[in-house]
Amino acid sequence: MAVSVAERLSAVGTANALELRGVTRLFGALAALTDITLTVRPGERRAVLGSNGAGKTTLFNCITGDFPSTSGTIRFFGEDVTHFPPHERIRRGLRRTYQISALFTGLPVIDNVYLACRGVSRGRYSLLRPRRNDALMHAAENLVQAVHLTGVKEQLVAELSHGQQRQLEIALALAGAPRFILFDEPAAGLSPTERIELIEILTSLPPHIGYIVIEHDMDVALRVVESVTMMHNGRIFKEGRPEEIESDPEVQELYLGGGHG
Amino acid sequence: MNSFIGRHPIWSLIIVILIAILLFLIFAVWPPELEQLLGRKRIFLSALLNGITLGGLYFVVASGFTLIFGLMRNVNLAHGSLYLFGGYFGYEIANWTGSWVFALVATFVIVALLGMVLQFTIFRWMEGQDLRQTLVTIALSLILADLMLWRWGGDFYQVPMPTWLGGPVEIPLVTAMRSSGEYVYLQFPLVRLVILLGAVVIGVLMWLALNRTKVGMLVRAGVDDRDMLSATGVRVQLLFLLVFAFGAGLAGFTGVVGGTFQSLQQGEDIKILLASLVVVIVGGMGSITGAAVGAVLIGLADQFGTVYMPTYAVVLTFVIMVVVLALRPQGLLRGH
Amino acid sequence: MALVEATRGSPASAKSEDWSLTGIFQAHPVLWLLAVFLLVLPAFASNFVLIEIFGWAMILGMIALSLMFLAGYGGMVSLVQMTVAGCAGYMVAIFGTTVMTDISLGWPWWVGVPLAIVIAVIFGTLSGVLSVRTEGIYTIMITLAIASAFYYFTLQNYTIFNGFSGFNAVRTPIAFGVDWRSAVPFYYLILFWAVLAYLVVVYVSRSPFGLALQGIRDNARRMAALGFNVTAHRIAAYAFAALIAAVAGVLLVWHGGQISPGTAGVGPVIDILIIAVAGGLSRPIGAFIGAIIYVMLRTFALDALVAVGLDGKRFQLLIGLGFLLIVLFSPDGILGLWARWRARMQRPNTHGGRA
Repeated sequence: MAVSVAERLSAVGTANALELRGVTRLFGALAALTDITLTVRPGERRAVLGSNGAGKTTLFNCITGDFPSTSGTIRFFGEDVTHFPPHERIRRGLRRTYQISALFTGLPVIDNVYLACRGVSRGRYSLLRPRRNDALMHAAENLVQAVHLTGVKEQLVAELSHGQQRQLEIALALAGAPRFILFDEPAAGLSPTERIELIEILTSLPPHIGYIVIEHDMDVALRVVESVTMMHNGRIFKEGRPEEIESDPEVQELYLGGGHG
Repeated sequence: MNSFIGRHPIWSLIIVILIAILLFLIFAVWPPELEQLLGRKRIFLSALLNGITLGGLYFVVASGFTLIFGLMRNVNLAHGSLYLFGGYFGYEIANWTGSWVFALVATFVIVALLGMVLQFTIFRWMEGQDLRQTLVTIALSLILADLMLWRWGGDFYQVPMPTWLGGPVEIPLVTAMRSSGEYVYLQFPLVRLVILLGAVVIGVLMWLALNRTKVGMLVRAGVDDRDMLSATGVRVQLLFLLVFAFGAGLAGFTGVVGGTFQSLQQGEDIKILLASLVVVIVGGMGSITGAAVGAVLIGLADQFGTVYMPTYAVVLTFVIMVVVLALRPQGLLRGH
Repeated sequence: MALVEATRGSPASAKSEDWSLTGIFQAHPVLWLLAVFLLVLPAFASNFVLIEIFGWAMILGMIALSLMFLAGYGGMVSLVQMTVAGCAGYMVAIFGTTVMTDISLGWPWWVGVPLAIVIAVIFGTLSGVLSVRTEGIYTIMITLAIASAFYYFTLQNYTIFNGFSGFNAVRTPIAFGVDWRSAVPFYYLILFWAVLAYLVVVYVSRSPFGLALQGIRDNARRMAALGFNVTAHRIAAYAFAALIAAVAGVLLVWHGGQISPGTAGVGPVIDILIIAVAGGLSRPIGAFIGAIIYVMLRTFALDALVAVGLDGKRFQLLIGLGFLLIVLFSPDGILGLWARWRARMQRPNTHGGRA
């Protein structure tokens, strides 16, 4: 079904999932990102760490196209998406979650997920209501079940707890056939139990789906990834495996020594 | 500016050529063939100066409108009503005291106070509810319009002009050359010249206030990023009060001026509101410089349209607006 | 959008609506009563009540419905809907038969009316193109400016729009042996289209198109991050809303038998906004609630004002004050009041005692 299509797609060709070259993002005179060069392979799980203001979320915004980069190129599975609007990148298999849940608060949970499924398939302008046996409706219900929200699927998002909203946020990123996901601080505000659930969801994703996680919580981050990129002041200053980064003296001084969130 | 030229070389060349043509049209004596084509130079110059003057008027009104929107995200659709009310009020004061200048000052103060009351009693409680604030301004404009209609009816009113502002003044721009070789210079009403200069002075003062005073910097910061403003710990509500009062006062003040060299009538509130809307759409929301550029453009379009395309003068201004919206929706001067 | 935000917490929207149309009737049995009432009205009401009160209210309600669709579901407060209706009305006059024989083309209604609707929809869609690429707060300004541009253009153009006078004696067609402008047939014609528009809007609100629009209202950036082309959707919404307004515009010009620049002037444009907001932007029925109240006020305010000792001409003041009160105390309109009243009735301990 949808999964095997994505698997087939990412098996074909040896293109990197994500390739950034020389990406710079200026806000007026302020350089939020400077000369970012980054390569992520299909199925790779990476963490991007750094203190506040290091440019992590701006990096995500440039990758998804929420903000266009001032210069540089971005390739997604070999295709140059530098000038594509966000929806074109999403339709090619990129997904993203937001640090502060970006949900449709006026709609119930099931509609939120349905829209996510709809967004990456045809029939977005359909004026006909989905029938009982609608495939996308089923997909949406399955997804709701996968994030343990079946009990509240008819409730308005505004009435969910914070943890439930974060779960819904993840569900939206899993809709359709994602090839690569950007998780922006998925553990923010979660209780310890919820954090364990989150780690479980992330680690049990199908192996062909790669992701980048931005996190402040090193415990969560280092347990769900195989490589780490450290950012500071809009630049990448170190890359390596989790164990290497954890024990690196420079990282400790800059990041861990000052205390982190 | 250098970066602009660097990024848009073709547009820069076009602008330079247009400016050169314009300078020629203004300062040179027109050969007969040109006069055949475009009409008398005197008419052209009058339209030009009237357009800039009208632009000055629009600028002062629109800058109040754009400040209120830029800082408080409140699309004040009662702005035209404040203009008209100021005009009527100034008319009464001028007739009562015989002093035009006093009427100007008093009107500014009273309409500013009215603005302060509105901000304090109503808009303050709707912080963040942009649409709701705008709907309130619509309701207020309906109420004000009807009250003004009740009090002053549908007649034309003209604020009495002080004698020292009357009469024409000779401007050193050549309109024609007599057969004796002597130059004929343009005659232009003094009052309009004074208004034009007044608008420029107000514009410069506003620029200085916004860029050189602490309050001004807070306003500019707030226009760019409202959340940052509350983070600075400054008394945001007090700032809003001042800005709304100032914007309202400007509108009322301009009403008196407009009532002097044009006239006041029921329906003028809507016309001024629409002119302000078009000016800020064209120039860019929240930008005083944008309001200046937009106002001059619209003023010129209005006057040139009236002289050269009388049937469609008004439509010309809307056409400019549509073109700007189609090509550069954020306005001519606003960055993305 | 504050006015729609104000409705989110209300109990009426707490559960998602049933996916079928009959669901609304089950949830709100009063609609059954209303439907029956409207169907049998001609049996006991005078022609005046049929056409000048209910007919007129339903036409205005349709135009307000098109505004509600864009504002309530899409978060776009468009003031151009009345103008779209006016455009359709003008086109009907120009293509059909009127007293202005030098302009009107005299084409049969089954050519002129569809053509008029198409042109009005194109106009509405183009207005959407101009409005959707800026932040939501500008929509009201831009659409107001476009509406004014149309007004001034029709006022000053004599070759097509006949300027200040507009068109008179616009005849409603006689088709299939029926004079559609006689009271009872015209009433049912309006009723048919108004009910159809209402049902279509309710149905579409839960179709992928309608849901996407609501998603865009709630978080446009997220919709783009889900793969939706937000700008294209918004423009499509304008086109859909323009269709409703255009049909209403045809009925509008047939109702009055005339059309002039003032028909879609700034006054009527604002009136439609007031109707939509006063009724309530959260549900389609709000548009019609606002419309019937407005029409009642318009019809009886003169006598009411005089009875209180005020000049009957102070109608605008009344409207302005009423609108101000609504925006200040119940920004989600009559529907909001109704929802809050129902919530209070359903709460167990509401005997007015001290909390």
